[in-house]
Amino acid sequence: MQTFDVLVIGSGGAGMRAALEAGARGGLSVGLMTKMFPTRSATGMAQGGINGVLGNADPTDTVDKHIFDTVKGSDYLGDQDAIAFFCGQAAAAIREIDYYGVPFSRDAKGQIAQRNFGGQSAPRTCFSADKTGHVILHTMYEQCLKHGVKMLTDRQLLDLAVDGDGLCGVVALDIRTGTVVPVKAKAVVVATGGAGRMYWSRTTNPFTSTADGMAACFRASIPLKDPEMVQFHPTGLAGTGILMSEASRAEGGYLYNNAGERFMARYAPEKMELATRDLVSQAIETEIREGRGFGEGMNAYVLLDLRHLGREKILERLPGIRDLAITFEQVDPIEAPIPIRPSCHYTMGGVDVTNFRTGGTALAGLFAAGEAACVSIHGANRLGGNSLADIMVFGKCAGVGAADYAQAQSREAGDGALMAKTAEWEARLAAAMARGGGPAVASIRDRLAEAMWNKVGIFRRGAEMEEAAAIVDGLAAEYERCAVGDDSRVFNTALVNYVELGNLLAMAKAAVLGAINRTESRGCHLREDYPARDDVNFLKHTLVTLAGAQYELSYRPVVVTEHQPAERRY
Amino acid sequence: MEQVVYRIRRFDGEKEFWQEYSFAHEPNKTVLWGLLKIKETADPSLAFVAACRSAVCGACAVRVNGEAVLACETPLDALLGRFGATLVLEPLGNFPVIRDLVVDWEPKAVRLAEAKPWLMPRDEFSAEAGCRQTQAEFKKINAQTNCILCGSCASECNKLSTGDDDFYEPFVYTKAGKFVADSRDGAAAEHLRPVLARGLWKCVHCQECVTKCPKRVAPAEDIAALRRESIRQGLTDNPGARHALAFAGDITNSGRLNETTMAVKTDGLLKSATRLPFALRLLRRGKLNPFHFPAPVEGIDGVRAIVKAAKEAKE
Ligand SMILES: Cc1cc2nc3c(=O)[nH]c(=O)nc-3n(C[C@H](O)[C@H](O)[C@H](O)COP(=O)(O)OP(=O)(O)OC[C@H]3O[C@@H](n4cnc5c(N)ncnc54)[C@H](O)[C@@H]3O)c2cc1C
Ligand code: SF4
Ligand code: SF4
Ligand code: FES
Repeated sequence: MQTFDVLVIGSGGAGMRAALEAGARGGLSVGLMTKMFPTRSATGMAQGGINGVLGNADPTDTVDKHIFDTVKGSDYLGDQDAIAFFCGQAAAAIREIDYYGVPFSRDAKGQIAQRNFGGQSAPRTCFSADKTGHVILHTMYEQCLKHGVKMLTDRQLLDLAVDGDGLCGVVALDIRTGTVVPVKAKAVVVATGGAGRMYWSRTTNPFTSTADGMAACFRASIPLKDPEMVQFHPTGLAGTGILMSEASRAEGGYLYNNAGERFMARYAPEKMELATRDLVSQAIETEIREGRGFGEGMNAYVLLDLRHLGREKILERLPGIRDLAITFEQVDPIEAPIPIRPSCHYTMGGVDVTNFRTGGTALAGLFAAGEAACVSIHGANRLGGNSLADIMVFGKCAGVGAADYAQAQSREAGDGALMAKTAEWEARLAAAMARGGGPAVASIRDRLAEAMWNKVGIFRRGAEMEEAAAIVDGLAAEYERCAVGDDSRVFNTALVNYVELGNLLAMAKAAVLGAINRTESRGCHLREDYPARDDVNFLKHTLVTLAGAQYELSYRPVVVTEHQPAERRY
Repeated sequence: MEQVVYRIRRFDGEKEFWQEYSFAHEPNKTVLWGLLKIKETADPSLAFVAACRSAVCGACAVRVNGEAVLACETPLDALLGRFGATLVLEPLGNFPVIRDLVVDWEPKAVRLAEAKPWLMPRDEFSAEAGCRQTQAEFKKINAQTNCILCGSCASECNKLSTGDDDFYEPFVYTKAGKFVADSRDGAAAEHLRPVLARGLWKCVHCQECVTKCPKRVAPAEDIAALRRESIRQGLTDNPGARHALAFAGDITNSGRLNETTMAVKTDGLLKSATRLPFALRLLRRGKLNPFHFPAPVEGIDGVRAIVKAAKEAKE
């Protein structure tokens, strides 16, 4: 049986940063398991940038301002102790990855260049043209190669194995051979990214963001924190949901409705297009609902205009965005405005991290980082550029936490729990592959996405969400008899998709449950039937826990230190 | 056009076979859209990989009618216009195939690691303070950082197709070149040596890697830059560098190549002796005169001035 001191699951920025940290320590065996080749992760898609107070573009910027912006951005649902820690570490994390080789764009002094981003009081977003995540991901990969991190490529995490004394390791699908394999580990870091694919047909996320790690932790009785908090990015391409980075607004893009109005004047007169994502997304959807968009139904959109920035600036600062608009919308932003509409972008909720300094969870030996985790620093709305900073800061913390834990751990876990889980999954997957008839995986997936977009999307109402909950339950029942459609053991991607759908359904059920019971509006969670924020009753995190087959709901107060909740205006 | 046909080279882990799928045409779609359509409506067993669907993750590269492309960004209509209703899809060339269109990257990662593709920062920088770099210096590495490790260049590389013992995938040279060109790196020779030892001078300049790269990376140019740098660093004890130096020397001296001495300068006396039969054949046909030492061409001073200017421009 493969055995590691530290096993990291997921090769995005968070996972690779954690693996590197544990690997660089020396003396520990470190494995990095990932369901695709390491550089195929969502992290590589981040275009805009990474936040940290370097003071390069604005010497008056301070960590305190970053803290306040993040707290306010989170609509006061972020834990302020964790946010203070995070903002305090972000600049150092950025300088460190500069030293590791991240090629940042530079200012005239040769320092890392910084720009404005939504919801921030100073230009503190560091960038590399419009491929910041790509260069961070590849630099992390280079560093993992340097440190000889053992990569377990094409392995999909299925479940954690836990016995009476604690965590034993994980079981995974070896995609190449179609076998279920146990992997023993003293410490496990879950860094499997987000759950945006719940909204399959309108999301900026890659096909791989399917809540695998969240669901595995959930099945191991770790709560999912704030699963209802899903961020919609205002500028997805109309046809596909593919992201036009926030940089397009940060560099000065305008939003227009069908009457040619810059409609943000109605919603955020000061910040205009640079208001936070939740506000801009809601503004766009309101315009569409009130008949001021172009097109109809799922195909409706508004326009993002970059033309006034001029050819040179577009080519220099936004070349990737231009390529995407040309390829997927047949529009060259130098010449014409781009049709856009909000698109599911980021999962603020996730695996309940209880110790932000280590990424630790309620289960000893289990750590979580990145979008899979909920620390919570993003609360009800994440600021652009804070996620890349999150994965660098907390990826490192989780690497340290897991390495420390593994070093101090003397228990040799037995094989019993691992072998039992392996047998259980082997039987389940074999049965699913053998099954004929039944609904197709893609059909269930698409109906889930439709229910989530229409009933648990940007605007939410109790009655509609109850309908969504019933639909999700119905789909989960169908899932039990659905057909994989391929019984090969060699690189069976249909089987991978089957496993992913099960995880999406579990996450969606938790998200709907949390959303129905949060009878207030906060950040991205906009209840039309409860339009006001309710700090008396809801300044608290939702926790959804699996008890037997039941999804149980509980709450935990938000940590408030310096900043008392105040009205949020931009 | 109502129906599109994908003729796909499949492999189930043991045997290879061809299969055709046809589906209804829709305008403004991509090659990946067609693959997904087949998988979701006709045959779930068709294996391929894709993640970002926006040309940044590098997962979806496949060969369409003999050319590597990113399936997610390649417009179907353009291909149909060029090739007609049937497209032939195959896995990338020069990669081991796992199943259908899925190839094995693991051995490539091992080879990539040999080139030490990581920054070895100069002493003046530290993890605490980070680095400094001018905008102009950043621009020197900007193109190489676009590489998404999609493998398209490797698929079409003519040199790699003859075997990978003495040549790397083009993107490996690009990665090495990136660090050699990075002003923050203080150990160019460390990145140079591995590629010098494997193939740096063996690229056949076919430019396939440049024309096939979906991210406007130009591995062939990086190879040229690495060669220049290796000579600048005095790493000339290899046939490629000797050939280039002999070439430059001849041009500077006489304005023309001296084929006779070229082989000796390139391969050394012993090795060029092994080519004697070839030389004798040339001699017999009057193509090589061992007693002829070419006189300088007319205007040799101009040639020398150009060489001098070129050298200065590079430094
Ligand atoms: C288009 C786009 C643009 C963005 N732009 C920005 C930006 O400008 N600034 C910013 O701060 N943030 C941005 N974000 C958000 C940010 O990129 C992500 O939140 C962040 O990169 C997540 O990193 P991660 O390491 O947690 O997860 P990911 O990068 O998603 O990596 C998850 C990894 O886990 C693997 N995995 C998943 N399931 C399994 C399993 N079952 N078994 C094994 N491995 C598994 C995946 O293959 C992948 O390697 C953007 C996101 C998107 C989608
Ligand atoms: S130019 Fe050289 S590296 Fe590029 S494809 Fe041709 S032989 Fe390969
Ligand atoms: S150089 Fe271009 S073609 Fe080659 S792997 Fe990189 S991105 Fe792909
Ligand atoms: S799917 Fe990522 S490059 Fe095509």
